[in-house]
This record gives sequence, structure tokens and C-alpha cells, in this order.
Amino acid sequence: MAEQWRRCWRGRGAVTGVIDAVWGVNRRPVTAGERRTGERGTGERGTGAGGLVKEVLLPVRHTHNPVRSSAFTRYRSGVLYPTAARTCSCRRVHSDAKLKDPFSLAQEDLKNLYEDIKKQLLVSKAELKALCDYYFDGKGKALRPMIVVLMARACNVHSNRDGHLLPAQRSIAMISEMIHTASLVHDDVIDGADMRRGKTTINEVWGERKAILAGDFILSAASMALARIGNTTVVSVLSQVIEDLVRGEFMQLGSKENENERFKHYLEKTFKKTASLIANSCKAVSILVNPDPEVHEIAYQYGRNVGIAFQLVDDVLDFTSCANQLGKPSAADLRLGLATGPVLFACQQFPELHAMIMRRFGSDGDVDRAWRYVLESDGVEQTSFLAQRYCHEATRQISRLQPSPERDALIRLTELVLNRDK
Amino acid sequence: MAVRSRLALLTSLGSPRRGRRSLSLFSGPSPSGWSKVVSDAEKIVGYPTSFMSLRCLLSDELSNVAMHVRKLVGTKHPLLNTARGFVYDSKHNLQMRGLVVLLMSKAAGRSESASGALLPDMISGIYPSQRSLAEITELIHTAFLVHRGIVNLKEWTFSDGPLKDMQFGNKMAVLSGDFLLANACTGLAQLNNTKVVELISSAIGDLVQGVYYENSNSNSAEGKLSMASWEDQAFLSHGALLAKSCQAAMELARHDAEAQTLAYEYGKHLALAHKLNLDLQPFMKSGSDPVVFSLDSAPAVFHRLIVGHEIWTRQLQQAQISTPQTDYSKLWSGIRSGGGVKQAVDLCTEHGNTALEAIRRFPPSEARSALENIAGAVARF
Repeated sequence: MAEQWRRCWRGRGAVTGVIDAVWGVNRRPVTAGERRTGERGTGERGTGAGGLVKEVLLPVRHTHNPVRSSAFTRYRSGVLYPTAARTCSCRRVHSDAKLKDPFSLAQEDLKNLYEDIKKQLLVSKAELKALCDYYFDGKGKALRPMIVVLMARACNVHSNRDGHLLPAQRSIAMISEMIHTASLVHDDVIDGADMRRGKTTINEVWGERKAILAGDFILSAASMALARIGNTTVVSVLSQVIEDLVRGEFMQLGSKENENERFKHYLEKTFKKTASLIANSCKAVSILVNPDPEVHEIAYQYGRNVGIAFQLVDDVLDFTSCANQLGKPSAADLRLGLATGPVLFACQQFPELHAMIMRRFGSDGDVDRAWRYVLESDGVEQTSFLAQRYCHEATRQISRLQPSPERDALIRLTELVLNRDK
Repeated sequence: MAVRSRLALLTSLGSPRRGRRSLSLFSGPSPSGWSKVVSDAEKIVGYPTSFMSLRCLLSDELSNVAMHVRKLVGTKHPLLNTARGFVYDSKHNLQMRGLVVLLMSKAAGRSESASGALLPDMISGIYPSQRSLAEITELIHTAFLVHRGIVNLKEWTFSDGPLKDMQFGNKMAVLSGDFLLANACTGLAQLNNTKVVELISSAIGDLVQGVYYENSNSNSAEGKLSMASWEDQAFLSHGALLAKSCQAAMELARHDAEAQTLAYEYGKHLALAHKLNLDLQPFMKSGSDPVVFSLDSAPAVFHRLIVGHEIWTRQLQQAQISTPQTDYSKLWSGIRSGGGVKQAVDLCTEHGNTALEAIRRFPPSEARSALENIAGAVARF
């Protein structure tokens, strides 16, 4: 099946086209033959992609295939339509105004977010203050605070209150961004990165020593803000995130020999490094308004599934996005020796990748070779498809809450996560 | 089996290549007298070993680091020395802060207040939460030892060895420091007391600020150098964690604000006295052996204040132009015979006495005596 597929679009540079097909949402101006955007994969909803790592892992080869074939054959003709192709899908069109735009819905609550974060960073000396404030310049996507705010309001409505954000919930939105930023600062030192969000990194400007301390400081300020909420359960929930972030980073150091274990390792790492923060922040805001553990679980599962999907898409973009779009060079993960979803899937088709994965793409030409294998395989589309499944599960979970504009915005957000190009 | 092999791994890091053992922390005062003070104190608190630190040390993550750090043997990355310190100095140095917290907990005893009745049983006169806190204090302290050892890659020169060793060492240092901090965070959360979480988090913030400006006095030519600013600085980098941990130990046992203040004062002044003692060590040795000292150490800073900026700059230049390498021995004897040392000694005694005054407000007990002995030993020369 996969073999047949590869033949179908190999060498035509239709990678982005296939992604579009898998996602089933218009990333390009719609042409005549492509009017099929609304009828995205019907069968997959509710298959519970999110359950557990194991659950996701196994269907990839078995139960996935029937679904996949139908999803793909349907779009086969669409793929053949020529596009600017191989280069990048730098253009995109938003349609679908039915659902509320998550960004505008959360905007009011996020208005002074960065100012408020900077107020938390109480430092007497100017230079350290400048470092701590560096990434809170309002230019980030503030994705995490947005999800947190929407989740908080959706939970409030679900708990028969008005949607208004509680002060403690807003603190969680702030803290989520602070923890995220602190981990970015440390990651950049670990990866030796010199650019982040279009800016020179802190380690590049001020050196590694000071960068690490700035990260530590942001974390301590987040921890203080968290304590001031005065809820021990919430403190525990978010402390778990900090531990997960580090453990995820450790997991990134090693890889597994066994293929299945390797995939499990990858998804677990993805959860710890990216999804745990979103999942536990969502859980925290639900705890603050509703005592029902089931609601906490809904919030957590939504965050967890969206978080994993977000990272999977990120890993795909590392192969498909323009270098300047993501704010970092493409194939950055390969260069760091990391085998992400697309590579792991590609390895099923091209066992030659196995040795490269094990040596962390360390030999001459490994990065280029691996890159070509990945694009020749259906690793990118399979990863995208997996992301889609996680998003479906997120949607299924959040749909269990009472309807509210915020709940629907969270559903809409899952689509945006899949369709983002940066 | 696994445990043993991991310990062996860690021990192998400490292969006795003579490195600078400049990480010695509470090792100032005369060794024999000090050891006795410490070992007596350890008996009082029951078991001194920090289980949380041990857990971290034996975790998959850190044994992973240990394995990687072995690759650094032979390089000049500071993490190597810090890792050796884990093994070599763990008994007498790294656990010191935890010991003080435990003694303080025991000295304060059971709370009289009504809410204190809800607390679980004590073990050797110390609540389990206070033991956890002592371990958390150690974890944080160790985390910063590790993060202090990160090097700026742009300052790298050929004499430092291969650049990739330094990059790798940094990576390990960031990760293991973060790991220790993360464990401190989850440990704090388990104490179920948000006031304590806030207090200790603020101590981490203090520590960052203190470490950030460590070694920056000598660079900022004139700066706002004064004895008071030196003390502020030393409090952040050396005092805040102990002071706030002592205070938090009182909070965990529901002791009132007064007890919390006294505990804080003891911790603060003990730590400052200790820092002064440490700084004074290079100037206390007799003879003319080459001695390593920091230009930011208290005696040097105070000396600079006494002689004035102009003379200081001249003395510094003289040291730096001497060939083939910078020779600080003249500067050293200058400081030693000047008034800076006496000022530092006086200040050390003063802080030691303030610590004693604070601890003597607690009811007499063997734990209190041990804390008095520690304060006494730190201010004795």
C-alpha cells in the first residue's frame, strides 16, 4: 500500500499537497478539482487516538491503514494538481468563519499578559532584568496562555458560572508562558541555538552562564506566582510539568534500538517536553473552578492531545517549512541528531535509516541522506495523520463540556494547530 | 546490584586526579574541631544522609549524566570538579545546610499552637516535612553548584581543550542542574504548604541574583562598592537559601512569626559568618606558599575600600604586569598586612554573635547547643 503510494507522488514534490490532503483543509487557494475541504475524514472521529502511547503506536500499521487508504485515495486526484509544490506552502487562506476565532476570543484576557509577566520578574539589577524580559516582548504566539484562558472560560461555563476568568486562572495562563519560556532559554543553551523567534538567543548575546541563570530566575518567579495562588493541588499539578520538561530533555539524549520502543520513546518524550505543560495548565484552571475529577480529566486530556498534535506538526514543519518561516533552519532536528516522527515512520520503509538514527545522523552526509529518505517516504504524511488523530481525540474530549463559544474555539484551535505553517 | 554499579560509576568520577578542590564549602575552620562539631550534630538529628539527594544521585537521569561525564575526564570543564565534589565532599560539605535545617527544626520542637496538633508524628524530634525540606535545601544548593560551572563558549580558547568537550560539559551541566531543581520543585509541592513553596522559590530567585553578579565587582572598575553592598551580595549568593530554609522549617511546624524570624536570623548570620570565614582562609595561612584568592573575597574588597581606588588600581596593575604570569603574591601580602583582613574578621565575629543571640532565644536543648557550636566554630580563627 505504502509502496504504491510512494510511486504515485514521488519525485513530484507534492509533499505539501499530500499534507493538505491528509489534513483536508485548504492551505492554498482552492482550485476546481479540490473542492473537498469540508468532508474531512469522517470515520476517524472517536477512534480514541489519544488513549495511550501504546494505543496510538500499534494502529499506525494495522488499523490505520484502511482509514488511511480511504483518506488518501479520495485525494489522489487532488494531489495531481500542480502547485508551487516542493518549495514551501507560504501562502494560506483562512475561511470557515462559522466557529469563533480562538485568538480574538482570548484577546481580552491576554491583553496585558506580557506586562504582567514582567512585573513578576522582580530583579534589582538592570542587566539581569533585561535578560529575563527578553522573550516577553509580545512577539511570541502566546499559544499556551490562549489555550489556558479558553479552557478556563469553558470550564467556568460548564460549572454554571459566567465565563469570566478568575484571577487565579489568569495567573496560570501567565505561569504557563513563564515555564515555557524558561525551558526555551535552557533548551537553546543545550542545543547551542543562536536564533529564536527571529531574535538572537540569550546565550548568543550574553553567554551561556547568564542564559542559564535567567532561565532559573524566570522559573523561580513562576514558582512564586504559583505558590501565591494558594492551592496546594494546583502547585503539585504544575510542579509535575517542570519535572516532565527535564525528563523529556533527558529522553532526547538517548534513543532505543528497537523500532516499536523507539516510537513509544518518541511519543513519551513529546508528551513530556511539550504536552505536559499544556495538559497540566488546562487541568489546573479546571481545578480552580470545578471539584469534579471528570472535568479535570477532560481538561487534561484536551491539553495532552492538542499538545502532542502540536509537536507532531512542529516535527513535520521541520521537514516542510521554509527556513525563515519557522525562525530556524529546516532539518534542524536532524542536525541536532534527533529522530522525530517523520524519520521514524520513514524508517519503516527505508531500513537504511536505522543505522543513521542510532548514530544520531553523526556521519558525513547523514543529514542530507536522511532528509531525502524522509521526503521520499510517507513519513511526513503519516506523522501529520497521527497529529490529526490526536486532534480528533482532543475534540472528542472537549466536546464533553457544556457548549460555549470558548469550547467551540478550542475545537477550532485543533484545526489551526494542524494547519499552521509556522 | 544496579545501585551498587551506579555508585561505583559515580565514585569512578572522583578518580584522584588532583584538581582544584575549590568547591569545598563548609570546610573553613580548623578541620579536626569542625569535624567533631559536625559529627556530634549529625548524631542529634538521627540520620544525616539526605535520602532525596541519594534518590536523585541514583536515578536513571543522573546515572546517565555520570556516564557521560566520564567522557569529560581529562578535559577542563568545571562540571567534572563539581561531580567529584558530589562524592568527595558529600559528607562534610554538601549536607551542611540540610543539617542546620534539621537541627533548627529539632531545637524549635513541637508547636504549642492548636493547628500544630494536626501534624504527624515526629521522628527524632523532627517532622517528616522538615526532613524533606532539609533535602530540598541541599538539592537547590547542589543545583546551583552545577549551574555555576557552566562556561561561556565564546570565551573559549585553545588552552581549554577541544570546544566540543566544553559544549558537551555545558549540556550535561544544564541538564543535571535542571534535574536537581525540578526534583526540588516537586519535593516542595509535596510539602503541601504554599507559603513554604513561595519562600523557597524566592530563595532560588535570590540565589540566581547573587550568582549572576558574583565576580562582577572586580570588573565594574569603581561600582558602588561598599561593605554594605558586599554584604547584600553575599546574602543573596550565600545567605538567603539557608535563612529562608530555616524560616520555612518553622512554618512547617506551625511555629509563630517570632520563631520564624529568629530562625531566619540564625540562618542568615551563620551563612554570612561562614562566607567571611571562607574568604579569610587564604589570608590566614602563614608562610609564603602561593595562595589562590578571589579579588571579590571580603578581605580584598575591604582592603580596596581602605586604600582607595587609586592605590588599588596601581597595586593591581603591578601584579598583572609581572612576568611571565600574573603574580598576585605581592597583592596578597599587601592585603594580609593591611586592615582589610581585620575588618573581615571583625565582621565575621559580629555575624557569628548575632547568630548566637538568635539561637539562644530558643529553649535549651542538645540541638540548640549544636547550633551554638556551629556558630561558634564558624567565627573562630
